[in-house]
Amino acid sequence: MLVEESIKSAISSIKTNGVRSFLTALAIIIGTAAVITVIGIGSSAEKALEASIDDLGPRTLSIFPSQRKRGGISSGYNPLVIKDAEALAKNKEHDWMIAPAMSGNRQVKFNNSNISGDINGYLPINFKVRGFDIGQGRIFTEKENLGRKKVIVLGSKVPGELKTSANQLLNKDILVAGTSYKVIGILKEEGSTGWQNPDDDLYVPLLTASQRIFGTDRLGWINVGISNDTNVDYVMMTIEEILRQKHDIGPGGDNDFRINDWSQYSDLRRQATGIFTALIAGIAGISLIVGGIGVMNIMLVSVTERTREIGLRKALGATQKSIMMQFIIEAVLLCILGGILGIIIATSLLFLFISINDWVFSMPLSAIIGSITFSALVGLFFGIWPARRAAKLDPAVSLRYE
Amino acid sequence: MLISTQNLEKKYQVGSETVVALKGINLSVKKGEFLSIMGPSGSGKTTLMNIIGCLDSPSSGSYMLNNKTVSDLSDDELAKIRNSEIGFVFQSFHLLARNTALDNVMLPLKYAGKQKAEAITLAKDVLGQVGLSDRCSHSPSELSGGQQQRVAIARALVNKPSILFADEPTGNLDSKTGSEIMKLFKKLNEEGQTIILITHEDEIAKKSKRVITIMDGLIESDVENNDE
Ligand SMILES: Nc1ncnc2c1ncn2[C@@H]1O[C@H](COP(=O)(O)OP(=O)(O)OP(=O)(O)O)[C@@H](O)[C@H]1O
Ligand SMILES: [Mg+2]
Repeated sequence: MLVEESIKSAISSIKTNGVRSFLTALAIIIGTAAVITVIGIGSSAEKALEASIDDLGPRTLSIFPSQRKRGGISSGYNPLVIKDAEALAKNKEHDWMIAPAMSGNRQVKFNNSNISGDINGYLPINFKVRGFDIGQGRIFTEKENLGRKKVIVLGSKVPGELKTSANQLLNKDILVAGTSYKVIGILKEEGSTGWQNPDDDLYVPLLTASQRIFGTDRLGWINVGISNDTNVDYVMMTIEEILRQKHDIGPGGDNDFRINDWSQYSDLRRQATGIFTALIAGIAGISLIVGGIGVMNIMLVSVTERTREIGLRKALGATQKSIMMQFIIEAVLLCILGGILGIIIATSLLFLFISINDWVFSMPLSAIIGSITFSALVGLFFGIWPARRAAKLDPAVSLRYE
Repeated sequence: MLISTQNLEKKYQVGSETVVALKGINLSVKKGEFLSIMGPSGSGKTTLMNIIGCLDSPSSGSYMLNNKTVSDLSDDELAKIRNSEIGFVFQSFHLLARNTALDNVMLPLKYAGKQKAEAITLAKDVLGQVGLSDRCSHSPSELSGGQQQRVAIARALVNKPSILFADEPTGNLDSKTGSEIMKLFKKLNEEGQTIILITHEDEIAKKSKRVITIMDGLIESDVENNDE
């Protein structure tokens, strides 16, 4: 019942001095709100990132050609060619999807509309690796690729750019660099990935692109689709082994290609968010400590103001321990209330932020429990000294105090 | 013997000066007595009460309460004695303003570690004894001075103390209310409660059975009062 009495007394003391209590707790409120907001944004961003990685479907590595250096001097440039992709595709050790591609800019014409379009030479499997879905018509087949057929699939925005509609274009011919191609399919809208927009591009079979449009077997890149549970390092090693052999690179020679693991970028982003979170958490920690000093100050004032009350409680039989408990509970409660208020403010801010960004709300429970615990500890730590002062007061002197 | 003191002295150090508030008090009080302590302001009445009420310890001399030496007990041991053996009533009531009458009366029971239900029953009982059954849930600001002092008396009595101390209990009350409070004390004494009352009003002191006069920290006179 003594604990109950202490809590009751603490609540009534905090309530009686409402404004003062609020101002005292302000630093705690701001500190907690800052921590929780940042952790919440970080956690929700993480969720959004994971969702967008999942969107890509299976994980993708990309192989790009690069210059080979020997002794610091650039020596020759071994391009990635279709045969490299075929060699990779022949490997049955890995359950991967090899998606070679080449691209270039060509004049595209339909009726009187004229645009300059990014033409991509793709294999049917490329669409799967990139997770593109067909909207109307169909994607070209392996047979059409081998037959170097003049068929073309359009990004969802291309019909609009050609000042017509998907329906008008389907099964019609358009001119690519003066040669007519049959439109066999139009993709669904995919959305920009940041550095390029697949909706603006046009897609023809790889061999068609190689022989009829670009006149080269040099690839722009090879995407390698792997499932999420694949051992990436092992896959990379195999790619290296095959390509080095194809490119005749002896032991000690540098690679003339590079392999990008896109998920590395999300790791990097995650790391950056982590550093940012730690920084804000540090600042918030300082704010909480400043708040704690404020609480200590107000508690000292409170002890002085209530000297007579303390004297009376002692006259009625309160021990030093029970007086101490009363004031520590008051300090801890003040800080916990500040923490809770901070969490409420932060959560409201987060909901606002998240609805603007179209993210999913995510808040680790440990962050909430942790921040309340931390504010309670701040209250405990900074409440001890004032509480000790109260407990040590001489009852006879305190009762005389005016 | 309930109270027995030997040569109690109390000195205060104020700056470089030593104030001797009590200069050797020898006092014995039996159970059931109704004692008044009189004397001019600054004579040491409150200081004496604080020591025999275990709120303060003497600079020298010894003090036995219920045949137990208490002059050398620790703070917390004294707190325990104050809680169970002693009840205080002050001139300025000293009620907790934010608590109800009932909560104020329950406070000593809380420090005694009583269960809540039992505490509520006991507190309501004493509030009835002082005639305030219908004011349990009132806060001090909703009570008259006399009623507030009754709540304070109920609080002092709730742990059934050996001694009830009252330091100028009527000092803040008009004479009519004051005499009602005195009647209450008289009734309590008749029921067996030992009471030590501090006052500088003759009228008040006359209501008690024994009057001690203190001058400059010494007992000047100690007379039985057979007026009533
Ligand atoms: N804490 C203290 N420090 C210094 N001097 C004190 C202290 N308490 C009391 N005194 C002194 O001790 C003397 C006795 O004080 P005390 O309060 O006991 O007087 P009193 O008889 O109760 O007076 P009153 O009738 O005014 O209440 C006074 O001279 C007072 O100034
Ligand atoms: Mg006095």
